[in-house]
Amino acid sequence: MLHRLLRNVFTFGLATAAFGAPEVNDVAPLGAYTAAERRHWAFQPRKDVPPPAFTDAAAKAWIRTPIDAFILAGLRKAELTPAPEADRATLIRRLTYDLHGLPPTPEEIGAFLTDKAPRAYERLVDRLLESPRYGEQWARHWLDVVRFAESDGYEYDTHRPDAYRFRDYVIASLNEDKPYDVFLKEQLAGDEIDPKNDGLLVASGFNRLGPLRKNAGNQEVASSRTEVLTEMANIVGAAMLGMTMGCARCHDHKFDPIRQSDYYRLQGFFAQTQANDVIVATAEEQAKYKAAMEPLEAEMRKLRFSMRRASEEEKGKILTRLEEIDGQVPPPLTAMYAVKNDPKEMTQIHMLQRGDYRNKGPRVGMRAPGVLLPDGTAEMPLDTAKPRLRLAEWITEPSNPLTARVMVNRIWGYHFGRAMVSTPNDFGKMGTRPANPELLDWLANEFVKSGWKMKPLHRTILLSSAYRQASQSPNEKAYAVKDSENKLLWRANRRRLEAEEIRDTMLAVSGRLNAKAGGPSVMAPIDAELVKDLKRPQYWSPTRDRSEHDRRTIYMIYKRNLILPFMQVFDSPDTLLSCARREQSTHAPQALELLNGTVSNDLAASFAKRLTGAPRERVDSAWKLATGRLPNERERALSMQYLDDPDPAAWTEFALSLFNSNAFLYVN
Amino acid sequence: MNEHIRYARNRREFLTNCFCGFGAMGFGSLLAAEATRNPLAAKAPHFPAHAKAMIFLFQAGGPSHLETFDPKPLLNQLHGQKRPETFGKVEYQNVNANSRILGTKRTFARYGKSGLEVSDLLPHQAQIADDLCVIRSMYGDMVVHSAAQYQLMSGRIIPGFPSMGSWVTYGLGTVSDSLPAYVVMPDPNGTPEAGQPMYTNGFLPAVYQPAMFRAGKRPVLNMELPKGITMDRRRKTIDLIRQLNEANLLGEDAEFSARMSAYDTAFKMQTQAPEVFDLSKEPQETLDMYGVGKADTDDYGRRCLLARRLVEKGVRFVCVVAGGGGAETEWDAHSDIEKNHLRMARLTDQPTAALVKDLKRRGLLDETIVLWGGEFGRSPESEKGNGRDHHNTGFTMWVAGGGFKGGVAYGATDDIGLKSTVNPVHFRDLHATLINQLGLQQDALSYLHQGRRERLTEVHGTVLKELLV
Repeated sequence: MLHRLLRNVFTFGLATAAFGAPEVNDVAPLGAYTAAERRHWAFQPRKDVPPPAFTDAAAKAWIRTPIDAFILAGLRKAELTPAPEADRATLIRRLTYDLHGLPPTPEEIGAFLTDKAPRAYERLVDRLLESPRYGEQWARHWLDVVRFAESDGYEYDTHRPDAYRFRDYVIASLNEDKPYDVFLKEQLAGDEIDPKNDGLLVASGFNRLGPLRKNAGNQEVASSRTEVLTEMANIVGAAMLGMTMGCARCHDHKFDPIRQSDYYRLQGFFAQTQANDVIVATAEEQAKYKAAMEPLEAEMRKLRFSMRRASEEEKGKILTRLEEIDGQVPPPLTAMYAVKNDPKEMTQIHMLQRGDYRNKGPRVGMRAPGVLLPDGTAEMPLDTAKPRLRLAEWITEPSNPLTARVMVNRIWGYHFGRAMVSTPNDFGKMGTRPANPELLDWLANEFVKSGWKMKPLHRTILLSSAYRQASQSPNEKAYAVKDSENKLLWRANRRRLEAEEIRDTMLAVSGRLNAKAGGPSVMAPIDAELVKDLKRPQYWSPTRDRSEHDRRTIYMIYKRNLILPFMQVFDSPDTLLSCARREQSTHAPQALELLNGTVSNDLAASFAKRLTGAPRERVDSAWKLATGRLPNERERALSMQYLDDPDPAAWTEFALSLFNSNAFLYVN
Repeated sequence: MNEHIRYARNRREFLTNCFCGFGAMGFGSLLAAEATRNPLAAKAPHFPAHAKAMIFLFQAGGPSHLETFDPKPLLNQLHGQKRPETFGKVEYQNVNANSRILGTKRTFARYGKSGLEVSDLLPHQAQIADDLCVIRSMYGDMVVHSAAQYQLMSGRIIPGFPSMGSWVTYGLGTVSDSLPAYVVMPDPNGTPEAGQPMYTNGFLPAVYQPAMFRAGKRPVLNMELPKGITMDRRRKTIDLIRQLNEANLLGEDAEFSARMSAYDTAFKMQTQAPEVFDLSKEPQETLDMYGVGKADTDDYGRRCLLARRLVEKGVRFVCVVAGGGGAETEWDAHSDIEKNHLRMARLTDQPTAALVKDLKRRGLLDETIVLWGGEFGRSPESEKGNGRDHHNTGFTMWVAGGGFKGGVAYGATDDIGLKSTVNPVHFRDLHATLINQLGLQQDALSYLHQGRRERLTEVHGTVLKELLV
């Protein structure tokens, strides 16, 4: 009963009465961390363990890179042997999806299969890494982690028509192999590094990627500000540090040594941060916008003024009129979504009881999480200059135990289908321990030594024998008992294509893919029923140029409140929280989407039309395009038999069958 | 207890993840084998359940407690005056210090053996008074629609967390092999404020997302064959897919066999779902009871009737939405509460009562929870002269069936309906109680996500034993 009483007191904002005056002007203690808390593996400095040495011929023959030595040591300890190398057709398909998210063309496959040069594989990896398609594929991973979307979410789900600039920034950064430390600094603090540099301003939009609540008549300015600060702080923990900082918003972290004060000190780095839309529209566009807005703004000012003395009834009329005006506001001027520091608008950061902005506790300044600092490390005042750059510099210190490990682990996970720490956003106690901690540290050390370059890291991983294994082991059954999750990597992991890859592949094999890169996102026509899911259906206006509808999925709009069913059934993230790893679920609506959906049927028709020649030629060519290989005898016979049918729909349905087949949807 | 780790996933884990961890206790091997093939296979509850299914009649926008189930005679006495300070403070969206108390034009009477008080706004629901467990002391944390709707649906004031329906299907799976486990039937006028994310699976696997049964030409997306394709042709195509997959299969493979079974389910859905939608075989008496065919009640009546048909066929969770597309087509009566609520009641009251009666006479009410209510109630003070503002600190919802006591009014607000004062019930308490009736324990129904074992109730909710038979 007392419990309930207290809870109600909280709910109604009467905490003051229950707890006595909160000590809002006290400064929170700096916190102390026990040796046991500091001992957690992920907080320890990286070890410098040399790769294990082997003398026997079998080992020497298998080990291509130091990665292999670590993997082999683990396998041998468990009395497992690696699977044989996958064949070349499998390897080029695996590599091309892995790095580009697209299938290799039959020509590319042919060239690789017949390339007798000793370094054919290395050259293939280099070619794929140099292609701009690489950035398009790997940007998707980062965009998942930072919960990128092109609308606000919440009730109005307002479009962010210029959000694509951030997406293009990520693609370009990856393609030019921007060092990861620079990449992080630019996103956290691009505006502080150089407020005149457009690219850096766009990068700083990272701080605004989270959902944003803009309710009609919302008077809780303080509440909204708390939510904005929460979004900014939480994502740094999850994406950059692999620390679930967000758990400490309401109370000390239950499992990890993160105090509530640590959480609010992290928010402290953002106390001065405000949104900053940097207009890029031409002078003419600006003049036009101004002309349209001025009368509306003047009226709104007048209405707001008269609101103060209005009676109930008048007030109602005023509100209705304000809403009408809101509907007449012209689309916003094209802009870069950046942030800036505004010391005048600085938020005093307090620890908040239960995370409620009304229940202010002691004040805090800014400081990195205490468990990663010597006890007693002072906090910096909230008005410190370039606060986010200070944070970014601390995060990207080569000695930071988390940053490099977290990113190397992500990259490993995307390549192997399973990260070493299988909870890539959580390196804390509730996260999993790395299957191979020495290897993780070795990779992280290499990453930092190479100047935080990602492409050499990809290369090291992709050239390894571990990566080149077949996805089936000759000892499958026995090994599945010993290491059911394949933690030690005794074979490659087969994976299903992700939502974007499925659509992009259907576009590619049907010959319709529009490879245009970059620029504003595309809206494709969708079912009228779906548009109704939007509070403001008028926001959905399909891009006029129809060839744009066939662009890669990364260039299609991603709205928080209308994630397209095709994407949703294939486990696309909701972009509301950071997504460290996509699910790979299997359920009936996927089948319905691929069998009956407009996307797959439309593209199957184009695919069928593209095939020419005698039936057998067409069958073989369809298989080669869709799966990267010729059909086996049984597959060919089944295909021919199905097509021996006068039904004009047969070829389209055959094409659709290939889109639905495992050979198409899975990468070995 | 085994814990479900979200990120760990490869094809072996696929098998174990299908069990969703907590269920490992007390599983029959048969159930287990089925679960590897079908992640939505029925799962044993944590303890013997009272109810098997739930229907949520979501009254979007926030119906007034003061005009429905919570009579406050003092309101009419105080009409036009400022709120006496003794009632304390409440944060509002629009109501402020200058606002005046608004009396109600509705009159209340006692109904049924229980003598439960219901207003003349809802004459049909008054007839089922003895089946209603009315909670007059609900409260939530947020006074704006979207955040309040997220809390009502998912227990959290921000989007991104699984909805009740997703949690329940995650916990229990489904017994239907030809219908989705979790269905949402939105209002054809449009969406309520919180939009799609309030119904969805959040970080739970996509298999727990709802099937949206929309109004319009295509009620269920992708359920009908593409133009020019016959059912016969499609059967052949699915056979071809199966054969091609078998030709390529390397021995036994759980994920691939799950895919094939997904195609079987899809085919069954395609052939059998139209039957569920076809109301023409329902007796005229039933159609009349729901108000199908009558202009005002046709839409909501159809959807309520469909909800019963779905639950009958083993669907686990159905959400029928009344309201969407803007204040006037929701219960969001900022101005002219009479006009707004009379209209909403005209559309929904009869079908609502029909659903409860129909379930009861079919013997389904005891195993089906029916929940009625919105994300909040409405303010005792007026907005725009004759409307009422959002109001989260004390309002009414009701539950029927599923082992909840009937003819009960639980808890109370103060004399003007401002705050819950007797036995306050937070959304999390309601959630804990609802899933308890479905045999799910709130802490065991959890999912590890980014370092937290997430639950529907976020922090522990209280199971309201007094409400249960």
